[in-house]
Amino acid sequence: MSADRKGSRWVTAGVVVAGLVVGTASGWFWLQKGMVQGESYAGWSGNSVTGSADADPWTRARVAVAGLLALTKEHAIYFTRNTDGSGARLREDCRYRVSGGAMPARWWSVTVYAADNYLPLNNDDALSFDATEVQPDPDGNWTAILAPSRPESGAWASTRKAGEFDITLRLYQPDAKAQADYGSIPMPKVERLDCGEQA
Amino acid sequence: MNRKIKLLGLFIGAAVIGHVALVLAVPNVLMGVAMDRMSEGGTAINRFQFGDRTTEKSRRVVRPSPDLAYASCVYDLSKGPLLVTAAPSPGQGYVSLSVFAANTDNIAALDSSQYPQGIRFVLAMKGQASPAGERVIESPSARGIILDRRLAPTAEKFAEVDLARRADSCAPLAG
Repeated sequence: MSADRKGSRWVTAGVVVAGLVVGTASGWFWLQKGMVQGESYAGWSGNSVTGSADADPWTRARVAVAGLLALTKEHAIYFTRNTDGSGARLREDCRYRVSGGAMPARWWSVTVYAADNYLPLNNDDALSFDATEVQPDPDGNWTAILAPSRPESGAWASTRKAGEFDITLRLYQPDAKAQADYGSIPMPKVERLDCGEQA
Repeated sequence: MNRKIKLLGLFIGAAVIGHVALVLAVPNVLMGVAMDRMSEGGTAINRFQFGDRTTEKSRRVVRPSPDLAYASCVYDLSKGPLLVTAAPSPGQGYVSLSVFAANTDNIAALDSSQYPQGIRFVLAMKGQASPAGERVIESPSARGIILDRRLAPTAEKFAEVDLARRADSCAPLAG
């Protein structure tokens, strides 16, 4: 075998290996974007085929990384966001007001997750708030606080040690209209109140 | 020039193969890891394991809900079907049993709004004989996970539902 042919084979092998590495890395990078992708509803991301056998391979892989053992929309609908209403990244050193109205589900909750897709490593025993904790007014409107320290009153989820975090809204046993049209769901708003020492 | 185009084609083809292979492999690999953790390294198969209350230290599965009590049964149908039952929670609290195949698909979910008196079904693979009169759920894979979720947003509520769920069963059909 001539030196030229040998060299040519090494070049070919190198190109194939480089392609495999780049392809695998691109897949891994894409999967790291986690739950905050898919269809968008007022700043919240959700996917109507989460957990379903109808999910395409990319959705199935993304859910496996960031939402393994998720239910289908007939039983639970999941939405996630990592920004406030202005589009700024949710951060541990800020306080946020979450507000909404009556949710079209038997029960709902909002939970804080750190960037590693697990609960923040704080022992505040306040990693979420749910339908049983908020105190709706006569019109069904409610508010809650996301902050690193407990507010004087009201529902609260602790963001202490959450770093740059995201929140997941779970709607269990959603009504038929919500299942059929995610756009009909009145999504809670997330407003930044302040950042830094005030928080 | 021709060789450069061929090499570019090879590079793109290899990149596509690498990307797709990763995407197809990830669900099965992560499900395998979860099954291994939930079955204590494969020693607790075809029986429920009852998780502690979810806290910041819960690390078996990503994005756990601190408002739910979880119990899991890693199933293996290679030797026959299983009979799966879940008792109701006190006060008709939310209970769901969901079945996940080895590729992560949620192939079935039954909850307390449909079955307030408790949930019961036979889990089998296609072609396996099941007793008449039972609700049968067919799994496309021999192995997978059954998850029991119960609403338990407080420590007191968790203690209540923990007692109730101890009656859950996930075991080979008798006989």
